[in-house]
Amino acid sequence: MALNLRQKQTECITRMLNLNQPVNATGTANEEVYKILIYDKFCQNILSPLIRVKDLRKHGVTLYFLIDKDRKPVHDVPAVYFVQPNQANIQRIMADTSRSLYDSFHLNFSSSIPRPLLEDLASGTLSSDSIQRISKVHDQYLEFVTLEDGLFSLAQKSTYVQLNDPSAGDREIEEIVERIVSGLFCVLATLAVVPIIRCPRGGPAEMVASALDQRLRDHLLSKNNLFTEGGSFVSSFQRPILCIFDRNFELAVGIQHDFRYRPLVHDVLGLRLNRLSVQGEKGGMRSYELDSSDPFWVANGSLEFPEVAVEIETQLNKYKKDVDEVNRRTGGTDGAEFDGTDLTGNTKHLMNAVNSLPELTERKQVIDKHTNIATVLLGEIKERLLDSYAKKENDMLVRGSIDRNELLGLLKGKGTKMDKLRFAIMYLISSESINQSEVESVEAALRESEVDTSAFQYVKKLKSLNASMASANSASRNNIVDWAEKIYAVTAGVKNLLSSDRQLALTRTVELLIEGRPNPEIDGYLVFDPRAPKSSSGSSHLRGPFKEAIVFMIGGGNYVEYGSLQELAQRQQPVKHVIYGTTEILTGAEFVEQLALLGHKMGLGTNVAASSH
Amino acid sequence: MHAKSAQSSFRDRTHEFQSIAEQRKKSYSSGSVPNGPSSSSKSEEQRSAVVIQSEFNRRASKIGYGIHQTSQKLAKLAKLAKRTSVFDDPTKEIQELTALIKQDITALNSAVVDLQLLSNSRNESGNISSDTTSHSTTVVDDLKNRLMSTTKEFKEVLTMRTENLKVHENRRQLFSSTTSKDSTNPFVRQRPLAARSAASTSNAPPLPWANGSPSSSQSFSGKQMDGESQPLLQHQQHHEQQKQEMVPLQDSYMQSRAEALQNVESTIHELSSIFNQLATLVSQQGEIAIRIDENMDDTVANVEGAQGALLKYLNSISSNRWLMIKIFFVLIFFLMVFLFFVA
Repeated sequence: MALNLRQKQTECITRMLNLNQPVNATGTANEEVYKILIYDKFCQNILSPLIRVKDLRKHGVTLYFLIDKDRKPVHDVPAVYFVQPNQANIQRIMADTSRSLYDSFHLNFSSSIPRPLLEDLASGTLSSDSIQRISKVHDQYLEFVTLEDGLFSLAQKSTYVQLNDPSAGDREIEEIVERIVSGLFCVLATLAVVPIIRCPRGGPAEMVASALDQRLRDHLLSKNNLFTEGGSFVSSFQRPILCIFDRNFELAVGIQHDFRYRPLVHDVLGLRLNRLSVQGEKGGMRSYELDSSDPFWVANGSLEFPEVAVEIETQLNKYKKDVDEVNRRTGGTDGAEFDGTDLTGNTKHLMNAVNSLPELTERKQVIDKHTNIATVLLGEIKERLLDSYAKKENDMLVRGSIDRNELLGLLKGKGTKMDKLRFAIMYLISSESINQSEVESVEAALRESEVDTSAFQYVKKLKSLNASMASANSASRNNIVDWAEKIYAVTAGVKNLLSSDRQLALTRTVELLIEGRPNPEIDGYLVFDPRAPKSSSGSSHLRGPFKEAIVFMIGGGNYVEYGSLQELAQRQQPVKHVIYGTTEILTGAEFVEQLALLGHKMGLGTNVAASSH
Repeated sequence: MHAKSAQSSFRDRTHEFQSIAEQRKKSYSSGSVPNGPSSSSKSEEQRSAVVIQSEFNRRASKIGYGIHQTSQKLAKLAKLAKRTSVFDDPTKEIQELTALIKQDITALNSAVVDLQLLSNSRNESGNISSDTTSHSTTVVDDLKNRLMSTTKEFKEVLTMRTENLKVHENRRQLFSSTTSKDSTNPFVRQRPLAARSAASTSNAPPLPWANGSPSSSQSFSGKQMDGESQPLLQHQQHHEQQKQEMVPLQDSYMQSRAEALQNVESTIHELSSIFNQLATLVSQQGEIAIRIDENMDDTVANVEGAQGALLKYLNSISSNRWLMIKIFFVLIFFLMVFLFFVA
């Protein structure tokens, strides 16, 4: 059973559009029921990568609106609402029902609607005497955004800031953990699996894992649970493993410049919800769609940028050759002799040529699209010297140190302020020992370029905390330092980056967890099994090699991690499936902004000349 | 198991909702009476609007159901046409079914046109909301699209049928290669074929503005029939032997074949005309793969552009005001000078 999250979510949405009746083989209902779809902003983000207007039409949806828009009555038509369960939406629904905008209302909430809101809705519609219009109320458990087959995001903003905020109280942290757990629960409900949960000790990962475990346990005990897998014959090899990590486990990935195609497009051009807007060649913004229906994107997303350019060339040449061949075949039959034996052959050629035209036009469109994107990217790279940033950062991480002149040269050279800040932070993370004079010169260079150094100060503070703790343990290169209780320190996991093959620490850890063999690195990790009774002690038979894994990163992830996890899955013998999810997908710049925010909150602004550790 | 698990990934809270409503209703039962008259007056004016809308809906659902039934019949026809046994050819059934489906499609076509007229007339008269208008337009478009795809399928089935006939012919030639027709027959048969092929090629030029596919497939089927006559001629030229008693049988069989082919061809012609009608109606409303949130961004961009334009205008207005003030002062100045000189 390959876990294809995107397909499952699409199926659920299709069923919802079909008024929650099972969809038959042709995909359309027998009776012609034309409906109207109404969603809110969050659910619009869920729907737009998955469903096009064409598909909506196929399922009989004629109009689609935002719930906040001013809508006019359309009588005698059922309306399907797909919204988040919060107070504002309930108010709007009550207003709509009292105005009797539509014939019948089918309400679908993206996660479980809490009882008090349901009661509010009931009393509100009762008082306006329109309760008979509400025909159905459903919990859909779809509160997550799936971008690709194995990539999802909970679209919860600024979780890293909120979790690491020094002034955050217990209540707020609990709320955030609750939200993350509810999102993860929706993902698991859609996949209909109960995984085995593993997480490193301490920190938000442990909190989320234990809360999720509790929630799953409670849910499985209730009568009509959502996971209809049979109890006994599901061996441990069928259940996937869910690994939960916190961003502080590996900070560098969120910040560094990467030179592969997909991360570049996301980082530099701002890919959002699989959609991209770039300056077209003729001037004017063009908007492109980059998802799994684009064969070039799927095949070449993880190549380095120069290789991508070469690949575009190759595709273009192949296309030109094919077009020439088609021309030759059809052009040559003009005025050919009408002898009987060849006739049908000629017409067949003609038919083939005509049939292949749409395919050729499509290929040309894809090539044009990527040529445009690559051209814009090239412009940005040249202007910001992104290739040298990426290369130097990689060198730093591998070697652990960098020539001081190179460092300062890059800081004083080209590149936006954000690029320089990121480079400086990467230097800080990757250098094994803090050379005070170097750090000060770096800070001076940053201040010269008028860069806000609060993020830099924040990371420096984190690193200093880590250093003080690391000295207590024997810091071998592969040790993972334990978490502090309240302060989420940077673990020495960043040191794992210095392994020679430059694999992400996350990928290595996930590989070990999937294999399940006891290993000093992961022995400290906790195991939660919601199906097992509470008293059983870490049943060892559940630690066999897993076929499928779900990796969740709290605090923000990006396409670099996604790409490396996919590589890991492909590398395994036999090929495994890994789904990667995060609370939100952040570009390097966005993540550094969150760090800067934290720096401000801790009072480590640019005015602080020397921070004390 | 897959289907089961797919079903259960959502929860039905309707019962819970209704039980809460029951509870609340009991507690509200005393206070709900005054709401009676106001709600009834509201429902009066809604009822008239609902009546008009439901007429439209009824028709639309009837058409949709008709399209569904037609496509089912089409599936049956396709299955029949695919059968490649040479001797057991259900020609009669196929012809009946073809005629039936053609009738259905023509009827549905006119029904859709009627529906569109109804919705247009209703949109102009009466106070229907803009959303209802777009809803009904979309419904009509959707029905047109589905009818067009059904017609396309029908055309494909017919072309497949022609191909199969040709295959049958070839096989029949192989089987009955010992009994060839006499030399007079092919000429008798050849002329109708030649006349028909001339007719088909003459029909092809008047329809250059049709979609590319129907005309090419027409010419293809025309050429197929030409191609069909060629192997027949060749076969006849090769074989000298004749059997007189086989001739009348072959003759009638040939006639029926010719008839079947002619039927198919005329059906394709009529189909193409329907096709074109639909195409002209639907051509402007083709839906490219739009995303749900695309219009949003356009509107936002437009609004921002409008805002910018308004700001610019405001600036120009205020600067005009400055200009006017300056001119005013200059005039005052000249007035003073004038007064000085006069006074």
